[in-house]
Amino acid sequence: MTSSPPPSSGRPLPVPDALSAPYWAAAARHVLTLSRCSDCGTLTHPPDVVCDACGSTDPRFTAVPVDGRGVVRSWTVVRQSFLPGFADLLPFVLVDVELTEQPDVRLVGRLLDGPDAPLKTGSPVRVAFEDLAEGVAVPAFVLAESA
Amino acid sequence: MSAPNRARDEVAIVGYAQSPVVRHADRSLGALTLDTARAAIADAGLTPDQVDGFVTASLFPTSGEHAVVDGVSVVSADWLAARLNPNPRYAANFSGLGQIPGSMAMAVNAVASGAAEHVLVHRALHNPAGSYHGTRAAEFRGGLQWTAPQGFFGPLAMIGLTYNEYVQRYGASREALAEVVVEARKNGARLPWSHWSGRPLTAEQYLAEPMLADPIGRFDCDIPVDGAAAFVLTTAERARDLPHRPVHVSGYASGAPPRRRLPAHWPLDDIMAAGTEMADRLWAAAGMGLDEIDLLQVYDGFSPLVFLWLEALGRCPVGEGHHYVRDGGIDSDRPGADPVLLSGGSLGNGRMHGVPQLLECYLQVSGRAGERQRDGVTTALSCHSSPHLGGALVYSAHPQPATHHDPRT
Repeated sequence: MTSSPPPSSGRPLPVPDALSAPYWAAAARHVLTLSRCSDCGTLTHPPDVVCDACGSTDPRFTAVPVDGRGVVRSWTVVRQSFLPGFADLLPFVLVDVELTEQPDVRLVGRLLDGPDAPLKTGSPVRVAFEDLAEGVAVPAFVLAESA
Repeated sequence: MSAPNRARDEVAIVGYAQSPVVRHADRSLGALTLDTARAAIADAGLTPDQVDGFVTASLFPTSGEHAVVDGVSVVSADWLAARLNPNPRYAANFSGLGQIPGSMAMAVNAVASGAAEHVLVHRALHNPAGSYHGTRAAEFRGGLQWTAPQGFFGPLAMIGLTYNEYVQRYGASREALAEVVVEARKNGARLPWSHWSGRPLTAEQYLAEPMLADPIGRFDCDIPVDGAAAFVLTTAERARDLPHRPVHVSGYASGAPPRRRLPAHWPLDDIMAAGTEMADRLWAAAGMGLDEIDLLQVYDGFSPLVFLWLEALGRCPVGEGHHYVRDGGIDSDRPGADPVLLSGGSLGNGRMHGVPQLLECYLQVSGRAGERQRDGVTTALSCHSSPHLGGALVYSAHPQPATHHDPRT
């Protein structure tokens, strides 16, 4: 399931930089990527100037597509947003997701199933994308069937 | 095993002042802080020209659009020094979280090393007009590009995720958090300077409040305020000649997250892993353990942090903080209970960060707590922020016997 509000959503947009541009380019195509260090091969998110795993100061991160499956570690129901563009979406659920591909990477995003979705610790989810503006999409999650 | 901190008990708190804590002061934060600093210096029996060190943490903890203006929304060490004793020997601003342990550690080190003789530590907090955390930002750069466009923004969602992880894992009830908030507000209601002075909260009132970021409601969050507090530190030797009973700083420690995370993402396991390591460093630094602490004051800027601090410090097993507080476990009016929110905390004072905990430890150990004075408090511990990003301090009325001979003496 992919939610596609009309451009523009009124929500704030990410501004890509040298490290994040490949991630956002893939997200625009609805592909979730993690950053792989060219020295040690460890995946991380978000990329940083130094690799957390091997300490490389020249990690030359590449954006590697991942399947976007994971499990819910926690969630909250947001009933008051401090950002523009979210008022009509309240209340909404944020999920804290441990990715199957690399469990020490945790992502936080909206759960698009709505505030009454049956959630528990360990609920399987998969990534979905919200189109915010022309050429800009951000990751979110939807409940998935158990593997 | 690390060597003992040579500053242990070498530096003492010798005076303080606390301003009224109000929603919006009728004067500038700079004026409020300057008067508070002057009062603290006078309380210590000193004059401003004797204060040659200034330390603060000037973080303005808002996610909103507010400008940071020295003297208006923040008060830096340099700003205050320029108006009390220009060109001091030492002036520094702590820039991390855990602002109270962080800035106090810098002040202790400055005095112990001789970089300054009398150091003023202050904390000034401002409540700007308009929404504290709200923003109209259309774009986010840097770290927030990874979270804000997805709707993850601000401290409510942060603590909501952390605490729901705790609730789901350990089965904590709303009634357990009610116990925390009611206790903080009860003690805060007794403080003349508090925003909540004379205004306790009942469990029924707490439970009737709607959620903001489940399982966090309005009363689980400290309220933004204008307020300032200041403390004067000097050597234990000089402290003996000053008017009040000195309160020695026996040790301090700050946390360090086990790994890099998204902005404002505080996974429960990160907090506890770094928090227990921080506690181990604290006992080593202070030369004493939790069983030697007469008064423990935990941080409560968000109510669930009380459970996490109790567990990180080892007051109760991990996952049992919510049981520990039930049935009057932390009730300051119940003999034999553990009054960890005697200070009123941030929930019972207003958003003064870790000031209430530091202040209560100082007042109780120095014997200056007035009607609230408790018997036999010679050691105390104050916490601030989260166990993984903040820290804690240990205080003693009496310096411990020297465990090593200093060749300089």
